[in-house]
Amino acid sequence: MILPALIKKEVREIARDPVTLATGAFLPLIMLFLFGYAISLDVKDVSLAVYDGDRTQESVRFIEAFTSGRYFTLRYYLDSPQEADDVLLRDGAEMVLAIPPNFARDLRAMQGTSVQLLIDGTFTATALVISDYASTIISAYSAEFLGRFLREKGIAMEAPVKVLPRIWYNPALSSVNYIVPGLFAVLLMALPPMLTALAIVREKERGTIEQIYVSPVRPAVFIFGKIIPYGIIAFVDMLIILTAGTVWFRVPFKGGLVILVATSVLYVFATVAIGLLVSTLVRTQVAAVLLSLVVTLMPSFLFSGFLFPIGSMPYVMQLYTYIFPARYFTQISRGVYLKGIGMEYLWGNILLLLVYGGVMFVLASLRFKKKVA
Amino acid sequence: MERLSAAVKKEFQQFRRDRLLIALILWTYTIEVVLCTIALSFDVTDLRIAVYDGEGSQASRRLVERFTASEYFSKALYIHGPGEIDRLLDGGQADMGIIIPPDFSKIMEQGRQADVQFIFGNTNPNTVNAAMGYSRHIITRFSYDTVAERLARLGYKLPQGIEPRIRVWFNPGLEFRYFMVISMIVLAGIIVGMIHPAATLVRELETGTVEQLMVTPLKRHEIIIAKLLPTITIAMLALFPSLAIAKIFGVPIKGSIPLFFLASAIFLLTSMGIGAFIATFARNLQQALLISFFILFPLMFLSGTIVPVESMPAALQYVSYASPVRYYMEISLGIFLKGVGLNILWPKFLFLLIFGALILLLSLRRLKLYG
Repeated sequence: MILPALIKKEVREIARDPVTLATGAFLPLIMLFLFGYAISLDVKDVSLAVYDGDRTQESVRFIEAFTSGRYFTLRYYLDSPQEADDVLLRDGAEMVLAIPPNFARDLRAMQGTSVQLLIDGTFTATALVISDYASTIISAYSAEFLGRFLREKGIAMEAPVKVLPRIWYNPALSSVNYIVPGLFAVLLMALPPMLTALAIVREKERGTIEQIYVSPVRPAVFIFGKIIPYGIIAFVDMLIILTAGTVWFRVPFKGGLVILVATSVLYVFATVAIGLLVSTLVRTQVAAVLLSLVVTLMPSFLFSGFLFPIGSMPYVMQLYTYIFPARYFTQISRGVYLKGIGMEYLWGNILLLLVYGGVMFVLASLRFKKKVA
Repeated sequence: MERLSAAVKKEFQQFRRDRLLIALILWTYTIEVVLCTIALSFDVTDLRIAVYDGEGSQASRRLVERFTASEYFSKALYIHGPGEIDRLLDGGQADMGIIIPPDFSKIMEQGRQADVQFIFGNTNPNTVNAAMGYSRHIITRFSYDTVAERLARLGYKLPQGIEPRIRVWFNPGLEFRYFMVISMIVLAGIIVGMIHPAATLVRELETGTVEQLMVTPLKRHEIIIAKLLPTITIAMLALFPSLAIAKIFGVPIKGSIPLFFLASAIFLLTSMGIGAFIATFARNLQQALLISFFILFPLMFLSGTIVPVESMPAALQYVSYASPVRYYMEISLGIFLKGVGLNILWPKFLFLLIFGALILLLSLRRLKLYG
């Protein structure tokens, strides 16, 4: 049999190269820890600058409503409203709260008052959350004031509607729970296709591929000889992350292990097929890496729903995400991992993966055969 | 000088031959920027709600309308039993469910509190957080209006509370695309700047042609300069279409463009220094590229280009001070959105310069081992 021999040769070549081996084993772990700890949009300890133009008991209480919670930390106490510019420009404060003179008087006189919030909008997601926190604190303070007023009038009245929130799937609202299952989709698309493409293009660059062409090895066998070792590396990576994610980050695994593993094999087949196709398009290793970056690595991060929700994209871009199989697998893996759902919900995405892998593989083999002939 | 220009010419010729490479570099600086800017944001909009309205009264319908009228929620999906919410959330067809109790308006009429259940069923914590925030706002507003109505019937006027006047600085429309364009330009810089020089240098090391270069009268720094020039030239040129794209997306360029080019040049040199440094450790191209990734990913994701540095744990925030990408990102945001100049940005420039000089010197030293 030629195939086992080819695989053995490839495995030897990988094993001889400590960097490739380390990449296979450690890069996924580094990424897991990197994303597990660093990727979060949690907003806390917002550095707050306050200008208090009123300086009354009421205004001090109002400021305390901000600083006593866990979201804001008072960093600057400004002496004039003009200083607001400076603290925002120097990245000193993320929000400036300015309380007008007569704040307490206007409030007591029932005519209402307003406070100014200046928020650094460079990162809009954070700015939105900060403005949300601040408005919530202010409405709570207003409500409390309203309650005081109603009690004075002797009217007993509760807020008419109460929100009973329940959070499913990820009740701790932890970013890690969301990141880890998504990371499978990213890693299995980021590295294996690139390594496969490199392995083939390297032979092209060195000219050793000519030897393959003239040998009795059939193209399909040659291709499988390249795919299988890298597929196995990818698979081991996935097991490493699955273990580390569950043991270290304690991400609850709700669904079936079998279905996750089975679909990931399908997925790896599809991604590696992309790597194959890339290898037939380029001549040099540098180009292979850059092309893989553009068609596999970047999309797996950006257009898979891993970080940026697909639902918020414009419709055309939502269609664009279908070009990359990462989106199918992100949904499968999050569904299995966090929701514990099975085939009855997953079959659509699984079917898409199957078709995708098949088409890519046929395309790559066709192009490869043309070269040989 | 003649020597140098000959070497430079050779490098440019070699570079020009690789069309695909040039195309890919341009792609990262242009099309990728456009795609990402159009598509990517952390904004949470068009949340799909499944509503189980147990009462079907005017009041309950008014409550639901408050949601569907808001830009954050899309049309409500009315369902016939609370159990259906499970199915919709499991299948990912809805992001949240609202269950209104059968005696909703009756309870409110009696001045008691009606419990409305909200079930958040999106796996993304950021989306859930936003959805909860929006829902609370809408409910608070609804409650306030209901109370005001009732007090009016009793002949009272509701006292005015505190109104927040929110002004967002540097990006008043809260356009995420402003941030995204800048972030993608910065990321293109580190990707192209690091990988290309690492790859070309290691190719020479691998094929042994670097030894030939070393025995020529060319000095080491001349070799490096010749190697780096094509990359920095194309990357700097690629900035022009990028800036045009930024302009088309309406990104305000408040500060000085020459200052941005200066920062970009220093940053590209720094990235190329990192690339060259990596190349000296690699035995072949594959190693060089893979080692680059070990460095590239932390640099990309710890530098405030995807998520803000402030949201990271404290330890990682300290680590990010060592990343040149962080400084380039902050400089770019400062120049584009805040319109600040050297008087505020100089410490960041200084760090970039020091880092760049150090890494270039280090790679020169490492290259000595070959000569």
